[in-house]
Amino acid sequence: MLRANAITKRFGRTLALDAVDFEALPGEIHALVGENGAGKTTLMNVMAGSLAADHGEAILDGRPLQPGSPRAALAAGIAAVHQSPMLFERMTWEENLALGGFDTGAGALDLDAIATRARSLAAKLGFEMPPAGATVENRSVAERVRLEVLRALSFNPRVLILDEPTSVLAPSELTAFLDLLRSLRGEGRIVVLITHKLAEAIAVADRITVLRRGRVVARTTPARTSEEKLAGLMIGEIVTQPVASATPSHSGDPVLQIENLTLDDHTGRRILDRLSFRAAAGEIVGIAGVDGNGQTELVEVLAGARRPSSGKITVLDGSSGGAMAVIPQNRDLDGLILDMRLWENLILARPLREQVTSHGWLNTSHAIDLCRELIDRFRIRAPGPETIAGALSGGNRQRLEVARAIASRPRVIVAHNICRGLDLAATAEVHRTILDFATGGGAAILISSDLDELLAICGRLLIISRGKIRETNPGERDPERLGLLMAGARD
Amino acid sequence: MLSSIAKPFAALALAAALISIVLAALGASPVGVFAALGEGAFGSWYACVDTIVKSTPLVFTGLAVSLAFSGALWNIGADGQLTVGAIAAGAIGPHLGNFPHAIAVAIILAAGVLGGAVWGGVAGWLRARRDVNEVISTIMLNFVAVQALSWVVHGPLMEPSHAYPTSSPIARAAQLEFYFAPSRINLGMILAVVLAAACYLLLFRTGAGFELRAMGRNRRAATFFAVRIPALTFWVMALSGALAGLGGAVQISAISHRLYEKLSPGWGFEAIAVALVARLNPLGIIPAAILFGALDNGSQAMQRTQGISPELVQVIQGLVILIILAFDTPAWRGLRENIFGAPHDAAAVPPVAEMPDA
Repeated sequence: MLRANAITKRFGRTLALDAVDFEALPGEIHALVGENGAGKTTLMNVMAGSLAADHGEAILDGRPLQPGSPRAALAAGIAAVHQSPMLFERMTWEENLALGGFDTGAGALDLDAIATRARSLAAKLGFEMPPAGATVENRSVAERVRLEVLRALSFNPRVLILDEPTSVLAPSELTAFLDLLRSLRGEGRIVVLITHKLAEAIAVADRITVLRRGRVVARTTPARTSEEKLAGLMIGEIVTQPVASATPSHSGDPVLQIENLTLDDHTGRRILDRLSFRAAAGEIVGIAGVDGNGQTELVEVLAGARRPSSGKITVLDGSSGGAMAVIPQNRDLDGLILDMRLWENLILARPLREQVTSHGWLNTSHAIDLCRELIDRFRIRAPGPETIAGALSGGNRQRLEVARAIASRPRVIVAHNICRGLDLAATAEVHRTILDFATGGGAAILISSDLDELLAICGRLLIISRGKIRETNPGERDPERLGLLMAGARD
Repeated sequence: MLSSIAKPFAALALAAALISIVLAALGASPVGVFAALGEGAFGSWYACVDTIVKSTPLVFTGLAVSLAFSGALWNIGADGQLTVGAIAAGAIGPHLGNFPHAIAVAIILAAGVLGGAVWGGVAGWLRARRDVNEVISTIMLNFVAVQALSWVVHGPLMEPSHAYPTSSPIARAAQLEFYFAPSRINLGMILAVVLAAACYLLLFRTGAGFELRAMGRNRRAATFFAVRIPALTFWVMALSGALAGLGGAVQISAISHRLYEKLSPGWGFEAIAVALVARLNPLGIIPAAILFGALDNGSQAMQRTQGISPELVQVIQGLVILIILAFDTPAWRGLRENIFGAPHDAAAVPPVAEMPDA
């Protein structure tokens, strides 16, 4: 039995965990749900030894775990899969897995053997693996999460703690993944699943613990609760459905026009294949696709971080502010500089940087005021503009990115997996912000692997598959059929 | 308040204790050695001025390194850039006799700036356009610069009598004056302080400086937000080289007045330690450089009066620096920040393991 006894953890002035008790039994899937910043990840880190609690202890089978030692936790049989994959960017995936339990050799490093073992485990789980010798840096987030899960399972752990593992998995992978959790349970292991997808928690968990602002507010079972009840418990008030209806599909003049956009990588492989699409003012266009079909590269090209091989991107009438604001998917690596202050991260956006710079001089107090204003307006939970971005929780980091994009007053916002890892309330808030932006005459392009999210908010849906984009019929709303298109089916 | 005063002394006491153990083990008298060190570095007006003279090139090269490192550009070539700046100054210096003093000085310093900028700029261009790792290119350019200096003082710039491997002395008009002679305080030192302030403003009060720091912290994010990385890389390396080159020109103009082999005892390398002790904060470069200059100056007195070997002197220098850097507890950080200024960026200097971008 895994127990957490009265765990308290404080970060500066923030009380992340307030005397939290938690227990999970062998042969159980225990879902841990809560809003962003509720303390789920902190609790996991304490149990997995990545953090030492201020008070309280974690106990596995009656034996207290050494606080703050991931090695001791692992030796005791606790493996964790973190929300932001903790991988070595410039190493190959085999080398990354060599730090896991696949490496049984005494001393000598046999990468081939590791790869073989990893592939056989991956095949059992229905995971697709990258080509041999591929480095992690160019892999999609979904692929990274798969690697993390494989690495954790390679230790053959008695306890597996997973932090939001499913948010980036493709629908086809999700079923297999949930089956995997069930089979781990069947083997008598303890599975702790941290998630914000309440339907998933209800479908797969035996018991559910709800955290709110560092406290346990409910312990329940799927039979005794519902999604609505859980959502209410998490947020502390009754929430309405995130966004009522999709935006009209055509409202204004064309704003963004992309013609024959093509990108070949340095090996000559075609990543983006003659993409053409338009977006009009007031429109929210969704681009649905399974991760790794060219979305990341499309965002890089649109952001200007990468030069396309050919094709044209035109933003029409970029009269005020910047023409296009991009919200990349990997907020910790691409979107933010975690060891810089909030106001510094804000002025990463060129239009805002220009706004607070005159004749080359940076007006820091102006930037700080602007940041304070946005913290209030977008309800970013942070002590102030001087806070280091890395000190914010995931949801608040995303709020900061959205705030930055809106504040740059662009004509077009391009956002990639914008609600990844966000809870209901935060998702609704982000959607509402995007909707307001579109209503105000902007065009939004939402790129996501979450079809439900896109269907809820987008007026028009495009499908990206193997670097090609195709329109869907305006009336097409059947997730199953769209899912097939995402998987590459032709009509 | 009391603790902020007490902490530095506690830290120095610990440093002294550790070094005393080393000295005692080697049979020297710790008290005598420290007395000689202090006496040599700050014991008199002349000792103080000498310490500052020794620190001046370290300020220029330290600023060069801290600027480049702030953008995660690992400029190991300040020594070469200083040397090329000095060659340029030493080459033009003898021909400035007909100019008024102010103009001659401006020309000789500009020559140093230009020489250093070219040397740094080459490495910057190679990184920006050809993706050549700047660690490799700057190290290689160091070799080229040192050999070039050796060649010019034996060849084209050798003094007319051909008796010594040095260049002709620069014209009197191009020499920086000593204020309060015979002390050697000169315009170069004032320039060093002004430039430290200017670098600070550049890094923390301008848009370009912000982009540079953003590039240093997270290159990928910077590309996503329209930071023009190649252009920035080139200009920062050129500017970094210009600062080091100016240091070389000041050395020629104020102190040595001519070129000779091994002009730099390794200022460009010591500058890396100076910059890291100062946590890349330009204002911290001045006390950091003075610390190194004082150790250097004081240790010569140590050699003279205590018969300590030059090797042991270097051991002591190394220990002092390591103690300053190693104890990263809050108390020690307090000490360091009291002396060298708090790092403006939240995070510390990146560990060495992250440095080269192989």
